[in-house]
Amino acid sequence: MPGGLLQADSVTKRFDQVEALSNLTVEIAPGTIGLVGPNGSGKTTLLRLLMGLIPPSLGRLSVLGFDPQQEPLRVRERVGYMPEHDCLMPDLSAVGFVSFMGRLSGLPREVAMSRTHDVLEFVGLKEERYRKIREYSVGMRQRVKLAQALVHDPPLCFLDEPTSGLDPQGREEMLRLLGVLAKLGGHSFVISTHLLPDTEGLVDQVLLLNAGRLLAAGPVRELLSQGSVETVVRVKGDPEAFVSALSAKGVRARTEGLEIRLSLPDGNTRPVFEAAQASHAQVRYLGPSVRTIEDLFLSMMEGGARRSAP
Amino acid sequence: MSISAPRYVQAPVARVGRTSRTWSIVQREIRRRSTWGPLLAMVLTWFIITLWTVVSVFFTSLVGGSIRAAFETPYESVIWNLLMLIVAATVGAGSLADDIGSRSITLYLSRPIHLTDYVAAKASAIGIWILIAAVGPGCVAAGVSAALGWASVSDALAAVGGCLALGLVTAVFFTGICLALSSVTRRSLYAGVAIFGVVLSVTAAVSVISGITQNANLLYADLTSNTQSIAEAAFGLPSPYPTDPAASAAVMVLTGVVLATLAWWRLSRIEVVGE
Repeated sequence: MPGGLLQADSVTKRFDQVEALSNLTVEIAPGTIGLVGPNGSGKTTLLRLLMGLIPPSLGRLSVLGFDPQQEPLRVRERVGYMPEHDCLMPDLSAVGFVSFMGRLSGLPREVAMSRTHDVLEFVGLKEERYRKIREYSVGMRQRVKLAQALVHDPPLCFLDEPTSGLDPQGREEMLRLLGVLAKLGGHSFVISTHLLPDTEGLVDQVLLLNAGRLLAAGPVRELLSQGSVETVVRVKGDPEAFVSALSAKGVRARTEGLEIRLSLPDGNTRPVFEAAQASHAQVRYLGPSVRTIEDLFLSMMEGGARRSAP
Repeated sequence: MSISAPRYVQAPVARVGRTSRTWSIVQREIRRRSTWGPLLAMVLTWFIITLWTVVSVFFTSLVGGSIRAAFETPYESVIWNLLMLIVAATVGAGSLADDIGSRSITLYLSRPIHLTDYVAAKASAIGIWILIAAVGPGCVAAGVSAALGWASVSDALAAVGGCLALGLVTAVFFTGICLALSSVTRRSLYAGVAIFGVVLSVTAAVSVISGITQNANLLYADLTSNTQSIAEAAFGLPSPYPTDPAASAAVMVLTGVVLATLAWWRLSRIEVVGE
């Protein structure tokens, strides 16, 4: 397989009777990638495969041009990993822990220490870096986990549920840090999450998984522009009567809160106004809906559509 | 909180090799175990064995007799095994259990090291602690006795060699036990209790059964019998015990290696990246 960021060629992973990943073929270019899907969709299995911690049942993988099964250490030298769960060493200070992780990644002692201070400052733990990790809050622990993933300056980072367990403020801070990292350039990030809104505005590519199958993969902008764009209508009056009137005119519509979403195949808005007149409703807003990754995921789930990246 | 970008302007750094990475785990593990428990066990062992050896050599030099036998006296006692057991349990119980409990094993194994490197590093750290406890007091006692003129230099050197041989075998044996029992639990306390329980119960059971059946071969499963037999041979003394010292040493070393391999196997079954 040629070099690149991530490649999977017909990768299947089975655990006894369970197929955690099914025939995954995808090629991902460098950048910030969202690995999204509900719990049990195969995200963690894919991370384990990419790091060479488990072998695929079928198929081949490539990470930064290296096969994780053939050369796991070369892959792990170049990869930073932020696990989802708490896995820190509570008896160490953040400085001691992160520099130890740097040394484990192959940095000489002095360099590991120097980078540890830099990276702890970056994640906002400069003042607290000498405190024992056991005294840290959940948010601070997440930052330490991010710091240890970055300390050896890897070209690729796997971040598994980076906002897991954080309160809204902590989540915002973490997403802001990830945004800064993404904008810095030179590094690629794979952000695995089941919280689809976390990826909005952060990732430039997305890989949607569901039940071990690839739903979609590719640049976010490209994926969001695909398919039929829905029209959003807000009316004053009886929305149910308005939807019924639309149905009578052959337009499929559904009510979502205060909004009515409908598909106008040829962009002709005439049926909307006719339906409004028929149902004695006033159209207060009419415009295209803004699609999100969540919308894309839901539409993919509904349609059962699959698309593999070229 | 202020956020500022890191200043990564330096040239790419040459990475150190696997050996250095593994050694950093050994260093970390040795420092990590330098808490009051292992240190107290170590001080106790050094105090008792050194004093016992020096006093034994002193009285032997006064009344006459084999100085080498005097050097060997503490190692023939059940107390020495008990002290080694205490050191091993305090040092080794948490070696793997703590990492499994805190799930930091995930971070170790997501770094560019193999599982074998990780287990080897943990084994080395435990082994170094046990070796210091097993060999150190005998060496100091030999030095003191020779310096004070209670033992000849050749006898002192023979004692150092004896301590080293016995200490190596003991270190391998206890390291294996610690790794195996530490790998099956998330709590170091449970592992510590298990180390005591397994060693003491096997020793007691074998002593009783071999006494009843009069089967000397069963004594190869008895820690005390094996240690006594090896100690006699290591200090160059004729062995009054029914077990063969070489076979005893082989049993202890093999047990340690097999148990360490079991620990490796057990860890290889642990989920590295949590769901």
